[in-house]
Amino acid sequence: MTVVVRKLAGHLARGLVMIFVVASISFFIIRNIPGDPMLAAYEKFVASGMDPAAATQQVKVIYGFQPEGSVWSQYLDYLAGLATLDLGQTVLNPGVAVTTDLFEAAKWTVIPVLTGTLLSFLVGVTMGVYAAIKRSGKLGDILNISGSLLHGVPQYVMALLLAAIFATTLQVLPLDGVADILVEPGFNGPYIASLAQHATLPVLTYCLASYGGWTLAMKSSVVTVLGDDFILAAELRGMKRSIVFRYIARNAILPLFTILALSLGLLFAGAVFIEKIFNYPGLGLKLIDAVTNRDYSLMGGAFLLITVAIVVANIFADLLYTVIDPRVRAGKEGA
Amino acid sequence: MSTIVLETSSASIRRDFWRGVWRVMKRKPSRMVGVVILLAFAFMGIFGPLFYPEHLPRDVSNTYGPMTWAHPFGTDGQGKDVFAQVVTGSRYVLLSALVTAVITVVLGAAIGLFSGFKRGRWDTVLMRLTDMKLTIPGLPLLLVLTTVWQFGSAVEMGLVLGLLGWGSVARAVRAQTLSLRERGFIEAARGLGLSTTHIVGKELLPSMAPYIAMNMLIAVTGAVYAQVGLFFLGVLPYEADNWGVMLNLAVFGGGAMTTPSALPYLLAPLLAILLLTLGIVLVVDAMDEIFNPRLREE
Amino acid sequence: MKRLAAVVALLGIAAVSACSSTDSSSKPAASAGGGSPAVYTTIDVNKPGIDVNGPANPWAPKGNSFVGFNSMKLAWTKNHLTDANAFYPGIAESWEIAPDGSSITIKLQPNNKWSDGKPVTAEDVKLSLAIAYTQGSTAFALQPGAAGAAAEVTVVDEKTIKVSQDMSNPSATFARGVLDWAVIPAHMWQGVLPADIWDKIKAARGTGPEAEAVRTEITELGKKVIAFNPGKDVSAGPYVLERVNPGAALLKKNPTFYNAANVGPDAVQLLNYTGNEQVWNYLITGKLDSSGFVAVPADTMAKIKGAPGNVVVKGYSPVAVGLAFNQSKKPYDNVHVRKGLAYLINREEVQKIASPEGGMPALTTTGIHQTAAKEWLGAELDTLEKYNTDLAKAEEEFKAAGLTKKDGKWHLADGKPWKLSMHAPAGFSDWLAAQENIKSQLIDAGIDAEIVTAADFPLYQTEMAEGKYDTGFWLIALGPAPYNIFQRLYGSANGWVNVAGKVTHNAPGKNGNWMGSPEQIEVEGLGKVNPGELTAKLNSVTAEEQKPLMAQLAKVANQDLPVIQMWDYVNTQFQNHSRFTGFPGDDHDLLRQPPGVWIQLGMVKKKA
Repeated sequence: MTVVVRKLAGHLARGLVMIFVVASISFFIIRNIPGDPMLAAYEKFVASGMDPAAATQQVKVIYGFQPEGSVWSQYLDYLAGLATLDLGQTVLNPGVAVTTDLFEAAKWTVIPVLTGTLLSFLVGVTMGVYAAIKRSGKLGDILNISGSLLHGVPQYVMALLLAAIFATTLQVLPLDGVADILVEPGFNGPYIASLAQHATLPVLTYCLASYGGWTLAMKSSVVTVLGDDFILAAELRGMKRSIVFRYIARNAILPLFTILALSLGLLFAGAVFIEKIFNYPGLGLKLIDAVTNRDYSLMGGAFLLITVAIVVANIFADLLYTVIDPRVRAGKEGA
Repeated sequence: MSTIVLETSSASIRRDFWRGVWRVMKRKPSRMVGVVILLAFAFMGIFGPLFYPEHLPRDVSNTYGPMTWAHPFGTDGQGKDVFAQVVTGSRYVLLSALVTAVITVVLGAAIGLFSGFKRGRWDTVLMRLTDMKLTIPGLPLLLVLTTVWQFGSAVEMGLVLGLLGWGSVARAVRAQTLSLRERGFIEAARGLGLSTTHIVGKELLPSMAPYIAMNMLIAVTGAVYAQVGLFFLGVLPYEADNWGVMLNLAVFGGGAMTTPSALPYLLAPLLAILLLTLGIVLVVDAMDEIFNPRLREE
Repeated sequence: MKRLAAVVALLGIAAVSACSSTDSSSKPAASAGGGSPAVYTTIDVNKPGIDVNGPANPWAPKGNSFVGFNSMKLAWTKNHLTDANAFYPGIAESWEIAPDGSSITIKLQPNNKWSDGKPVTAEDVKLSLAIAYTQGSTAFALQPGAAGAAAEVTVVDEKTIKVSQDMSNPSATFARGVLDWAVIPAHMWQGVLPADIWDKIKAARGTGPEAEAVRTEITELGKKVIAFNPGKDVSAGPYVLERVNPGAALLKKNPTFYNAANVGPDAVQLLNYTGNEQVWNYLITGKLDSSGFVAVPADTMAKIKGAPGNVVVKGYSPVAVGLAFNQSKKPYDNVHVRKGLAYLINREEVQKIASPEGGMPALTTTGIHQTAAKEWLGAELDTLEKYNTDLAKAEEEFKAAGLTKKDGKWHLADGKPWKLSMHAPAGFSDWLAAQENIKSQLIDAGIDAEIVTAADFPLYQTEMAEGKYDTGFWLIALGPAPYNIFQRLYGSANGWVNVAGKVTHNAPGKNGNWMGSPEQIEVEGLGKVNPGELTAKLNSVTAEEQKPLMAQLAKVANQDLPVIQMWDYVNTQFQNHSRFTGFPGDDHDLLRQPPGVWIQLGMVKKKA
């Protein structure tokens, strides 16, 4: 167990350094985006009938929430804010803390993407084992090709097709946010049903689009393991099929955990298309909104959240690896 | 990929190799189909644009026209032939995907192998770099980069996607290398006095080839989706015959998701993407067997 | 595998608990009452994104205060073609403008109460007008000498308030500047502004460094105002905010509203959307009772019309789009080149391709929307050059500009081939479709052309203002106030800056002057004119004097062509008549106000 604790401490220290470095890099990238949002906001106000002089003043007030001072002093402010978890206020929604705004949006990204990822991982990994074992038969071919094709269909295409079928043509699933506003919110049947109904299309899309990837990855990994000597040895010794299967699955799934962990970390960033098409108000839409309005604090916060998620996911993956793989647990690891 | 292996092989092994390739291809006709599809796409990307005038003729009385013999996939919102646009647009998509795939796989495999093989200090440094690379979120970063870069040329696009994409390959290859190390045959090979080139080229690479090949597949398709997706989101400069721009115009301009008349316009680039994917999948399926000799015998 | 299964199960539990925590964070709500309530469903085109964290604050950009529903203005502008001062009653029941325009006396609705039962008083209005100074408003401007600024705000009695105009630089649209403003409850907003705010405002309207310091202080107060969260919604409008989720806002009827007896729908839901295609979906499924203008492709339009109950209504919208030139770049400095392009481009074809349902091809270039131009110019409109498509005339103009045609391709005067670059922001699909069509037309006529997009709108506006583009699309004719209309052609983007009624001119390429017209323009029949000064005059003269000025400016625009007017937008809206009746029809002036205004005026009724 001490190995795990020692590893964890090392990971945490490195993770903090990583967060600091990435947050700094993204800070300077964000500050260097060209384009003056005030000009665009002014155009929008004037086009909606506002007086030019009034629009000028209004824009000045709204963008008064943009951080001020030289880039370096802003950077120091940002770092000071990081230490106290104060990421400033948004321009899009003045007076609202960036953290409040982000957590509201993050909620609606995490739930469907997490559900979708785990479902597709379970199904995909199982199918991948079959695809590898039966790779010379019909079933293997079908699993292989269908997996590849599903993997081949980009998320946004899948989303568009599902929206066209279930929302526009059949009109059985909604495209309008997270829950029916007319249903009284709370821990009651109709509201949970409404939540589930609205989340169905995003989750389904995510499952279908990533299931193929898991199948392919698992199949390929199993094929590699199948070539290993210990499997041959086990087969020669006439071990039970189920035990051989466990051997194979356990050894083949290891490399997949790094991918799973990474994709769990990326779940905060990866749903832009799904959210855009299904009108699902998560982090991806928030980030696009922040970029098009040059909301520096909000962008910085979103990048930070994604970074932290990835770092945490990586640590989690490594610890998981330690728990599962006896060779690494023994302390022989290289990293 | 094959070139790396071939360089370290003698002439007779090379002959055997090609014989093996042929046997693998023959076993499943679908694999031949895959090769044919990829060749067709390569032909389309290289020579396709030459068959059409620089500016396609338009017909304002036939916008979002139906599928006919003259227009196999109908016409777009300007009355231009959709099929012609898929062909002329393929060059950008394929070239940038190729650039991305090469950068991703070469950089990813090299760093992963080196890191896993050498271990120690180099491993630590390279993996920190990889971690950092993986920690910077890709799509959000691209969204930001689009405001800075114009991505007018395919090579530029491929370069950026490739430089953003090698991290996961490097990590996966390193994990595989470490796992192979654990099985002891590298130590054994060392003990036999074999050179590093030999160990990497003859022992490590072949057993990892299917894994790398799969990552190449993911890299090519990933590159196609990433760039088509960015154009589809409408955040990249507009070029009428780009597949992603076609998707964007069909959905957001033509209402292809709500009405059938713009549907062929949407389907044409989609089918092109699917066909390309199918071709790659079938070829990779064949590569899987070629590089894993144990599988061949089953 | 067992351990793996346990891990996955744990993650599953985490997902479920995340779900339930979102449930408990939502506000509990009162039940909607007996029977099935009539819910009116719509979208707010000015606030497509509904934000759970938005306060009930009309000035917060993401506030959950929806104009006409739970955010009330003093009065609702009719956006009349030529009379900017025509209004429907809102918080104000009636108003009286002094004959010389020196003041406006506003009488409030006698029986109107806030949703917490307190009466709406002149003090509420006075605080709202003080807030106007912090937010930017024409009548409540801090800049000394600004046109049409208010001089004094006086509470006459509990329901009457008088605003007088500073007559040193009066404006014909003073009444509009006063009445077109939101009113908030003073008892909820106490403490947002300091007690001595009116002294500060007086000090800020002076000159000198002290006044400047106070102005900065008041702008800082503006930040406090837009960030202010009153906690709960206290509305004097027909509805009050019930609850919000990230996909929609629900408003229920406010029984204390003065006209509550005539408010038809029991509740209103405003749906969130992130793109037009979502609105198309809402419309095709017949979900929306009404929707403001969104661009719709022709075939989707047919499908929308086919849904039961859907009705398409068209009205006037004071917006047009033009291809604007940067006259610092050759050959666009030559008026003959611009005229040649005007003759060359077939505007009907452009409009048909780009905006088939939401526009009409520009009659000619006047800088004014054609519907308003008919009112402003009358018969004079017909005397202007039409620029009907005429390739021979186009060639003539190009030759007059010194261009030459070699091998079917046009070359510049210096012999280099001419390549016309058009710019537009990515994602503006109608503009891009238009430019793609123009590009094809130009190539057919022997002019090489390209389209270059900017990644997004801020980048587009910035690069345009920096003078990086040769030509680009630019919104014009933004009325109804005549001064605002010509600000688009002869305002700051073209070098003329109006500070306190004094017009100065910046050289092309300086201070945002990217259009770069000459300061004096020789116009047939008018002689040398300074269009920027003519435009500035529109702000101060009476409605009668505006007409001849508008005619002159239209003529300047028509001959000088700083832009080629492409199409004039049509306010195409959608209504569904199967649940409610009493909607405003074609060309109704209320189409330019949100449905909350139709409802509060008592028009919309439940269908029996």
